[in-house]
Amino acid sequence: MATAATLEKSTATVRKPHRRMSRVMAVRQAMQYVLIVLLALFCLVPFAWMVLSAVDAQAGPTVQSPEFTLDNFVRFFTKADTPRLLANSLLISVSATALNLACGIFGAYALSRIRFRGRKTFMFSILLIRVIPPPATIVALYLMMVKMSLDNSYLGLILVEAAAALPVTLWLLKGAIDAIPFELEEAAWMDGSTRFGAIRKIVFPLVGPGLGAAALIAFMAVWGDFLTPLVLLQSPDLYPLSIGLFRAFTAFNQVDWGVLAASAVIYMTPPAILYGFLRRYLFRASIGSAVKG
Amino acid sequence: MLPLLLGPSVLLIAVFVIAPAVYGIYLGFTNTQLTGFAARDPDFVGLDNYQNLLTSDEFLGSLGHTAQFVFFSAIIGQTILGMAAALLLRKKWLRGKGLFGAAILLPMVVPEVVASLTWASVLSPRDEGTFNRLIGLFGGASAAPLQEAPMLSIIIVNIWRGIALAMIMFQAALEDVPDELIEAARVDGAGAMRVFRYVTLPLIRGPVFLYLLLTTITTVGVFGLVYFLTQGGPGSATQLTSIYIYQHAFQYSQIGLGSAASVILLALLLVLGLTYVRLSKVEV
Repeated sequence: MATAATLEKSTATVRKPHRRMSRVMAVRQAMQYVLIVLLALFCLVPFAWMVLSAVDAQAGPTVQSPEFTLDNFVRFFTKADTPRLLANSLLISVSATALNLACGIFGAYALSRIRFRGRKTFMFSILLIRVIPPPATIVALYLMMVKMSLDNSYLGLILVEAAAALPVTLWLLKGAIDAIPFELEEAAWMDGSTRFGAIRKIVFPLVGPGLGAAALIAFMAVWGDFLTPLVLLQSPDLYPLSIGLFRAFTAFNQVDWGVLAASAVIYMTPPAILYGFLRRYLFRASIGSAVKG
Repeated sequence: MLPLLLGPSVLLIAVFVIAPAVYGIYLGFTNTQLTGFAARDPDFVGLDNYQNLLTSDEFLGSLGHTAQFVFFSAIIGQTILGMAAALLLRKKWLRGKGLFGAAILLPMVVPEVVASLTWASVLSPRDEGTFNRLIGLFGGASAAPLQEAPMLSIIIVNIWRGIALAMIMFQAALEDVPDELIEAARVDGAGAMRVFRYVTLPLIRGPVFLYLLLTTITTVGVFGLVYFLTQGGPGSATQLTSIYIYQHAFQYSQIGLGSAASVILLALLLVLGLTYVRLSKVEV
């Protein structure tokens, strides 16, 4: 009721001449508040089980009021297999992101600064690559990896993940380097820098925010990937969190719901926080759609 | 010399993205198996795989499931709710925009496994499942949504996950619609629906169409979100083409058949993809 009152007041100030109109407006605004609240609830309510069960000593597969404890998180970090999942996820995501950026920054520099033949075609081709759904190439990819003896290994998965995130990285970084005036580099040459010296002194420092954004996007894509590790990895020792959670959930005999919920909370925290940093930057870049999935 | 800087990128993309797509086309013409005799020494079988697929009720059914899934979750659900969110969050008088926006973004930001896990608790067949508690409040009897209405369930889950992307794209498009235009229409006596239909929508038609293409493409690629919850079941009720490919290639060991199915999926998407790239008018 308090909101309705403030609503009416605020509309009254906006639409001074029509006192009677303002009541209609207030009702309409209240209805729109109801709509947006319902939408927000729809988005948030599914998380209730995870958040409540993560701190529940008696956690089960459904929502209940928790008997508060942090024991589930303690168990996550002290159990035999779960810390390994987190370590694997970090190892795979950080390495793939590093490789992705190392290739991407130089590639993007070439795409931004040099007008070579086939540059446009290349840019459009990598944009088109983004439309290839991962399930459509996974079968052949798996067989190739087996033939190269890269299946069931960190290295293989890291290479695949780094490559999969490259088109987006190249597009983002090319845009970021385009925004750095070429004159700055030319000035550095005048002062006696080599071409690479100028890249190091001018481009690297100035491309910082773009590089950061590309790093976060690549990291989140690898971190969240489910299909690729599901197909490429067989040994539980190598599983990242995504597969670990899936296996734990589908282990019909005995699911430890508390630890499962705690794992999910731990698993979702990095992307949720990183996304906060990214948000403002991302949607100015034309490739904002890259964050989905 | 400097274009060589592009070398490592080209190499990675060529080996791990392009080559599998091309190799997949070859595999689609063979009877390659994951294990056994045909694994070591596959035969060239011409168009057999394609013939089998196009006469297989299971495969055609999976295409139908994917079409339903894309149409109802991405094209209808995400678009309408995303547009509603974008329009509501644009109102000047609305308080708490940041909080509402963050709430709507959360489903998109979390990894897909977490998204599925949260919904597993919501759709649980137990009386204590979130959905059952909710319909209990209205006096409804407990249900098992993933068994009784599996397609509807996964459509709702995917709508939930995708509202945010639609909202973001529409928010960006709506920024280019001048407020004066909408106010002028309102002064002339047009209701909210008519203003949207005849003023706002025509102005953002381009971005909306682009979004529809993009969401269609990404939704066809959805695998984990659904596989985690239903593994294609019950029966084959939620067997999307992506799940069909995974199951046939890796569980029934039919690499050749799975590859042919992948090629069909790729061909369908390439048409949409080319349209998307052409229409998005990106600057290079």
